[in-house]
Amino acid sequence: MSTEKVNKVTLTSNEGSNIQVDRVVAERSMLIKNLIEDLGDDAVAGHPVPIPNVNDPVLRKVFEWCEHHRNDAAQSADDDNDNNNRKKTTDIDEWDQKFMQVDQEMLFEIILAANYLDIKALLDVGCKTVANMIKGKSPEEIRKTFNITNDFTPEEEEQIRRENEWAEDR
Amino acid sequence: MSAPTRRGPGLGHAPRTSILQTLQATEMLDSKPVLPAEILAAILDHLPVADQLRFARASRRMREMVYDDSRWVARLRALGCWDEAAARRRFEEVMLARRRAASGAAPVGGGSGGAGAGAGAGSLLFDAGLEEERRQKEAEQERAQQLKEVADGFETMKVGGTTATHAPHQDPSTDPEALLQVIKNAKSVRGLARQEYGKIYGALAPFYFDLVRAKTHTDPLVFKVFRDPERQAQMLANLRTFAKSDWSQGAQKREEKVDTMTSIFESAVLREFEQGYEFWDVDGRMNKYAHVLALLNGSSAAVELFIQKHPVFTDREVLANSMDCVNQALADSVTLEPSRRFFEVLSRKVNEQAAIIERIFPNPGHVFWVFVDKVREDVVMEYATPLFDETHERSIPSYLRAVSGIFEQTLQFMRTLTPPKGAGVNQEARAKELALKAFEPHLDLYLQDEIDDFTRQAEQEVGEWEKKLSEQDASAESFYMAGFANRQADKKDFLTSFRKVVMMPVTVLPTTLTTFSLPGLPLGSPFASKPAAAAASANGSSAAADLSQQESRAQSPAPSIQQTVDRSSSPMPGKAPTDELAAKAALMTSRLEGIKSLFSIEVALSLVHSAKASLGRVAVFIQLGGQAGGEAREQCEAIFVALLRILGSKHVKPGFDRAVVHLSQYNPREVSEHDQGGVAPLVTFIELVNVGDLISQMIDVFYEQQLAGPKIADRNDFLDPAGLAKKKFEQMLDESVAAGLNKGIDVLMDEVEYLCATTQLPTDYNPGAANTPDPASSTTSLDKKRASTLTGATIGMDIGPTRTAQRIRELVASHTSMLVGSTDKSMLDVFNGEVGLRLFTAVCKHLKRQRVSTEGAIKLIADMNLYFEYVRTLKNQDLLAYFRALRELSQIYLIDARHAKEMATIIADGDRFGGIFRAEEVYEYAERRADWYQVRKDVERAMYGLECCLM
Repeated sequence: MSTEKVNKVTLTSNEGSNIQVDRVVAERSMLIKNLIEDLGDDAVAGHPVPIPNVNDPVLRKVFEWCEHHRNDAAQSADDDNDNNNRKKTTDIDEWDQKFMQVDQEMLFEIILAANYLDIKALLDVGCKTVANMIKGKSPEEIRKTFNITNDFTPEEEEQIRRENEWAEDR
Repeated sequence: MSAPTRRGPGLGHAPRTSILQTLQATEMLDSKPVLPAEILAAILDHLPVADQLRFARASRRMREMVYDDSRWVARLRALGCWDEAAARRRFEEVMLARRRAASGAAPVGGGSGGAGAGAGAGSLLFDAGLEEERRQKEAEQERAQQLKEVADGFETMKVGGTTATHAPHQDPSTDPEALLQVIKNAKSVRGLARQEYGKIYGALAPFYFDLVRAKTHTDPLVFKVFRDPERQAQMLANLRTFAKSDWSQGAQKREEKVDTMTSIFESAVLREFEQGYEFWDVDGRMNKYAHVLALLNGSSAAVELFIQKHPVFTDREVLANSMDCVNQALADSVTLEPSRRFFEVLSRKVNEQAAIIERIFPNPGHVFWVFVDKVREDVVMEYATPLFDETHERSIPSYLRAVSGIFEQTLQFMRTLTPPKGAGVNQEARAKELALKAFEPHLDLYLQDEIDDFTRQAEQEVGEWEKKLSEQDASAESFYMAGFANRQADKKDFLTSFRKVVMMPVTVLPTTLTTFSLPGLPLGSPFASKPAAAAASANGSSAAADLSQQESRAQSPAPSIQQTVDRSSSPMPGKAPTDELAAKAALMTSRLEGIKSLFSIEVALSLVHSAKASLGRVAVFIQLGGQAGGEAREQCEAIFVALLRILGSKHVKPGFDRAVVHLSQYNPREVSEHDQGGVAPLVTFIELVNVGDLISQMIDVFYEQQLAGPKIADRNDFLDPAGLAKKKFEQMLDESVAAGLNKGIDVLMDEVEYLCATTQLPTDYNPGAANTPDPASSTTSLDKKRASTLTGATIGMDIGPTRTAQRIRELVASHTSMLVGSTDKSMLDVFNGEVGLRLFTAVCKHLKRQRVSTEGAIKLIADMNLYFEYVRTLKNQDLLAYFRALRELSQIYLIDARHAKEMATIIADGDRFGGIFRAEEVYEYAERRADWYQVRKDVERAMYGLECCLM
């Protein structure tokens, strides 16, 4: 890497509009961070980085989050989804809660963008928000939320319900 | 991921009731943003269990995702009841059974004897998701499940397992016992993790969430369902465990709540325990509540309380005053009798407590050791620390004894404890660990002091000895030749006793733990105080004999003896050597009186003994092992190295140096006495070599016994400091000996020459000189006339060797034999060879100065035979050749003057002399014949004339 650091990165959404963000902020996204590392500073210095899978409002929203969390500890490689070593889910902090008060479509798109851009913390917050959203909902409501087709017969569905009745009554 | 799309128009409309509607909805919603599976899985991770299972009902894919075994295995693992090995074993059993079933075409788990393995297979098949077989399998599975449970001796508890027909969890109040055991009874079966977790969840979740919701500590269901504290405790413990598998949002708060409730419960139980404690209700309340607490969280709180309030820490009987050890002893000393009593009492008390602890606590072993640790900290250390501080201030030696002794006692104390049965820990290891803990703060200081004290003591000893020496007149040495004959036997004898003493355990703490006054002293003291009686008696004979001789010297022996007696009597008057070694050392010392001004075996012995005492004290710590043990071991080596350093460079080396100086200053002409049969400084020096060797052997024995034996030093490790120091010491000794011997040979030969020059009478080899006046020898006739008058009477009567030769032989032989066994064999050989060669030269030189008649030749031959025989004892072939030649040479004097021709043949016969003498040399010797001028013509004619003829 050259000694002279590029301080700003320009990102282009799928609609072609450019957003300029601080490099540290952009590097909350592992995707962009790796890209800069791979291509070198010069490649990013003059040219905008295209983010074709994310539209403008979502991109702005995502980097709003990144801006707010710019000083958080960088994510480490090993704490991504390790199934056997689950940690307790922490509560969503207040700012994030407010930040996530968007309509469901936006929420999903943020999650998808976070997934695409590889921003683990944001993805986490998104998933928690969704989890909170569907807590206590019926299967039907869940299907609606996630746009899932019910491929069970009513008998089958009843069967599963009864199988897991132990969890319901509390 | 797909590009964002607009929301479908039909979202969130009327609930679908028919398949058709579902299909329609599917088509409509197909274009909506769909979260990929991994994100759904991530969302699932954040969901509570109940919501996850509702999620499963959304669709087949969702169900698979939720039912995924790893999800549930993780939870079981969080509960600590997933055993991977067991799971694998089960899985393999199942695979085996399935293979067998396939080959035998038998229905899986169908037979009544199918038992566990078959059942496992059934359930596995089911969970693998073979949907088409599902219904049929289900019945089978249920049956199998029951079978398995029966087979495993599993209670009938079934909280909604895999079977839909089975009732969900039973009312906890009807079967509370099963609820308590639910976590313990969970099994690790692959494919069944969800069901197992289900059982646990079904049993515990109601209590868990109830507890979380509870406002006060009287509310929770736990305390209502279970009335007795033991079950409550167990249930709470279960719930705390269960909380670990709860990781959806808010879990932390819930766990905190559980913890709060638990601690409220705990403190209540603890109060009960405390009350029981106050009434000393060992088997009743204390026992009961200790068990309750053990169920709850390992009873650490109760243990703490029990130990904190334990009466032993305030017990007057136990808390002795450690100052007794100092006060009851003599000044500057320490007696460990009070501390022994202290430990005895303590040991009794603690062992009593062991029994009580066993009655109270469910895990007595652990409690006992915690208790002992507390005793160690509060009682033992409180006892030891002031004692150490006090003794350290008063006198270092007693401090050293106190530390080592108390340590040994502590270790002993720890070992005599009888921990409650089933403690399951290695008592020896524990004892060491605790002893180490107790002594850690003192250890460094102690080790440092120990070596400092030893060095100081040793240096002081050497210093004192030096001072004493300088007070005496340094030049006034007395030496005599007592008991040289069986030196080697003496030495061996001495060493045997020494070895015995060294092997005697110098336990700083006598096994009986009785008296502790100066353990090293009974060994050391006899040496420190040279017994007057023995010295006097040994001195008596020899000293008396020497007295007259010694009077001629500048020194008068009386003060010397006086001094000896004074010195011996001052430290411990009238104490006769009781010990065998002491007696021998005394004898040895008296015998070696001659070298006392150079260095003393006494000092060496006492140094070795103080080193042994120090080593003995430090070695106690070695058994600790680990770092402390290693340090102690290093210190042991350091003591040994210090011993060698002081003994070697400060004591032995200067002694040798002084002896060598004396040797080099020796001039036979200045010494008037030559009748003693020895060269005084050389005798001294050789004695010194002997003593040096003795010390070296002593050190060797010491090293073997004290260092190599108990594995303090590694004999095979060539970098080991102790081994290195020992080698260096031996090397130093060898070098000193070599240097001294070099000088010694010169001195010896000077003496030989002096003897030759002064004692050989001209008539010895020429007895007829006076009787038969010879015109040829008229130059010396005057001289010979006088001589012949003296020896005339003996002519022809004595055909043995001359007195001079005998004396020379004795002189040389006594000196060489003195060295036998005291130094290196090779060095001895070199020395002997050199001595022989120089003797040869000296004899030749001497011979050339003599005049030999035919009659005297017999004497000469006798002399030469004497030398030859002597040299033969040296077992040196090269040397022997020289003396053989000399012997042959001496025969030319025997040849009658009439046989001059034959004489010439012999002179010219080089082979006869083994190449040692050339013909010219032999000719030179022949010139020394008394009748040379008569025979010369004939001989020369025979030699040269014949040669001319031949030419």
